[in-house]
Amino acid sequence: MPGFSSGGLGEEVGGPAFSPPCPFRPSRYVPVSAATTFLVGSTTLFFCFTSPWLSEHVSSVIPIYNAVVFLFTLANFCMATFMDPGVFPRAEEDEDKEDDFRAPLYKTVEVKGIQVRMKWCSSCRFYRPPRCSHCSVCDNCVEDFDHHCPWVNNCIGRRNYRHFFLFLLSLTIHIMGVFGFGLLYILQHQHQLDSVHSSVTMATMCTAGLFFIPVAGLTGFHMVLVARGRTTNEQVTGKFRGGVNPFTNGCLRNVSHVLCSSQAPRYVGRWRGKQTVEVQPPFLRPPLAEAQLEAKVLDNGIQNDHHSTRSKSSLEQMESQSADAEPPPPPKPEVRYPGLPRADTEESSLLSEGPSTPSMYMYRPAYSSPQRNHTALTHPNKMIRGDSLDSPSILQSSRQPSYRSEPSSLDGGSVIGFAARGGERGEGPGGSSGTGGVVAGGISGYSLGGRSYTSYPSSLVLSTGGSHSSSMRSAHTHHNTLGTLQSEGTTDTSYKSLANQTPQNGSLSYDSLLTPSESPEFESAAHELSPQKPHAPATFPPAITSSPPPGVRDVPLQGYTSPFLSAQMAQQREGQLLQGSASFSSPNRAYLRAVSPPPPNPPHAAHPETQHHLLHQDSRHPHLRATSSIRPLPPVSEQPSPSSPHACSPDPPVSPPPRGRSLGKSPSYTGEAGLQLKARPMGGGSLSGGGGIGVTQAQQSTCRPGLANHSTSKPVGGVKKVTGVGGTTYKISV
Amino acid sequence: LPPQFHNLQELRQSPSLATKVFIQRDYSEGTVCRFQTKFPSELGSRIERMLFEDTVKTLNTYYAEAEKVGGQSYMEGCLACATAYFIFLCMETRYEKVLKKISGYIQEQNEKIYAPRGLLLTDPVERGMRVIEVSVFEDRGSSGSSPSSNVSSGISQR
Repeated sequence: MPGFSSGGLGEEVGGPAFSPPCPFRPSRYVPVSAATTFLVGSTTLFFCFTSPWLSEHVSSVIPIYNAVVFLFTLANFCMATFMDPGVFPRAEEDEDKEDDFRAPLYKTVEVKGIQVRMKWCSSCRFYRPPRCSHCSVCDNCVEDFDHHCPWVNNCIGRRNYRHFFLFLLSLTIHIMGVFGFGLLYILQHQHQLDSVHSSVTMATMCTAGLFFIPVAGLTGFHMVLVARGRTTNEQVTGKFRGGVNPFTNGCLRNVSHVLCSSQAPRYVGRWRGKQTVEVQPPFLRPPLAEAQLEAKVLDNGIQNDHHSTRSKSSLEQMESQSADAEPPPPPKPEVRYPGLPRADTEESSLLSEGPSTPSMYMYRPAYSSPQRNHTALTHPNKMIRGDSLDSPSILQSSRQPSYRSEPSSLDGGSVIGFAARGGERGEGPGGSSGTGGVVAGGISGYSLGGRSYTSYPSSLVLSTGGSHSSSMRSAHTHHNTLGTLQSEGTTDTSYKSLANQTPQNGSLSYDSLLTPSESPEFESAAHELSPQKPHAPATFPPAITSSPPPGVRDVPLQGYTSPFLSAQMAQQREGQLLQGSASFSSPNRAYLRAVSPPPPNPPHAAHPETQHHLLHQDSRHPHLRATSSIRPLPPVSEQPSPSSPHACSPDPPVSPPPRGRSLGKSPSYTGEAGLQLKARPMGGGSLSGGGGIGVTQAQQSTCRPGLANHSTSKPVGGVKKVTGVGGTTYKISV
Repeated sequence: LPPQFHNLQELRQSPSLATKVFIQRDYSEGTVCRFQTKFPSELGSRIERMLFEDTVKTLNTYYAEAEKVGGQSYMEGCLACATAYFIFLCMETRYEKVLKKISGYIQEQNEKIYAPRGLLLTDPVERGMRVIEVSVFEDRGSSGSSPSSNVSSGISQR
């Protein structure tokens, strides 16, 4: 990250509760200096030249009134400028023990029934809470990020939004006052217009008049935002256009929250009390309940004998292929994965809250050394030993879904080929095109260059631009574009990007596993796998009924929103899963409808079918929420087979992942954002919310015949062959 | 022999950190500060579910109280505006007051409940209120490090 040096193997020095220093850039201080100069200078001139006469001949209240307003303006200006906007401290290392290689870029949470996507911040090392955004100028994640205001040279966030808003209000009033009283003076001194006092008053009036229009426009804009409970970031990126804002509590409550709530605390630079509590063994232990014992047994990794043979066979195949390519993994990761789903990281526990296990992971930047990548790559093999395809579901029961599916998702080319996401870090440059939203004329003050609107706009733009919408966290330093994906055919781009980083390991083994001829239906297969819960019905998250209804296979999707879907996966998803699955059962139909438009490239015939499926699903499973269309791929438990009934066309499915939109994501909050960006030049997906879903309608349509048999009825007791990204084919038990 | 081993034993007695469990935020009601009360399975063998859930629920209550928009916060805002925010130099905001209460509560919980079980709660504000970090310490007693246990049992007999 700019301005913050990382030590060692790319691992950032987390540091205790501090934000990294910004480099000194004099150009940053020009707007704020100008603003200060104009404000203080004009007011001073007003007080010196205009007020005396007014206080004598009109009223003595006038200077007092103007002084009060000016002081109020200045106080709010200073608070907006100098107050910490709500910066999150960098996450400490132990919060992020999860292997970067296998971690998803996005996680979904549900806010008041609406899916909201939380993105992994690679500089701050945590998943950004809702409404949080990373400011590239300040290089910090800011809570309730509004925008970065150059006029105060500070981010506007949760803590100082009120001050910023009051500053705008008071400045508008102050300008009106200065202009009005100046006009009064001039009107009374028309015969003395050439005097110094008159000229100064006229100059002050000109300045005031000049600034009045943008400031008043901005004030009006923010009054609307406050009333609607939106941030500038959300408004400009069009997140809620045509949809529902989950963060609003009604106009009155929104206003009172902005104006009357208590000052939020700062997180950075806090005084940390000494930890005086001593921890000494022996420790008390609670009596183990039967259920806990059972859960522990389950957690040991022998999930489902039913599938174990299949798992093992495919696993052995993979292991043999990978074993010689890689050195044995270091012991540490094995300790971390003793068969127990590891939930000692922040993300895993976060994942566990979501009901579903992602079947597809976008990969975080491989900050770690190559060794870690070894671990990441070989580990899944070990992890999935004995794992069934239903492992994610079992994870659910043990309440740690994420870790099961993560390693499995890596297996055998399950790594999804996401175009490396460039510019994720700063997210500044990407944001430039993200600001096409409706903005009042007074917005000139905002750095619409895009730097202030961070992950959402930039990611959205990237996805819509069709070039960089990878959800790979790991890929943020690379700019593998769609073109890369396309050129590689079925080869997983993520492997390439990872290979770019760690060429000596990992990718080799995976490349060896990939069969170019096979179509990348893997994700969808895996996707199906995760929801499959005939053997572990209880594992669904509470929102899902205990026994999944027939054909429902998408329940675990809830937990993750991977914006990036490979083509096949999305097509599989729509074709098979969606019809029966609850993935689209977003409570917000508007999202579904809004999301329906197909990308321009593929045949539009696919669109109505998809829509039909969407609505069909929605009606069938209203209680299930639509989640990301990307699911972590379950472990490679099936033997890859050369023929896949769903191998529509080997090449295209993988190709435009970044642009694809995922219908599954439609109900999500981010999907809506993607929808908003439809107007922008987008390669294919019109719905992708920044994540670049790999599937386009084209693939779906092309694979429709293959999926037809699945779409109609729940496959009974069968094994479906799906091909993952990179060509590995898996059999999925249904 | 005994003194030497005794000192070493004492040194080895300080438990090492085994793992950390992170309790995530519950965003189901918006950006209001709430933590998930779901009991993480890693703690299943270390602490009773009810105790843990009570702690988290109490914390949630505290945070709700801190973020409540009501008379006191309104008056505080007006006073701050009237004094051009100079009052913040002297007075603590409502939120900060509640945070102090929370800190005291966490300290008390650690002393009474968590430390005896080899756990430690970290104040979420240190993590930007994103997670509650529960440090799980290695249970020496059950870790089966035989030399130390033998020595300690030998010592205890004396």
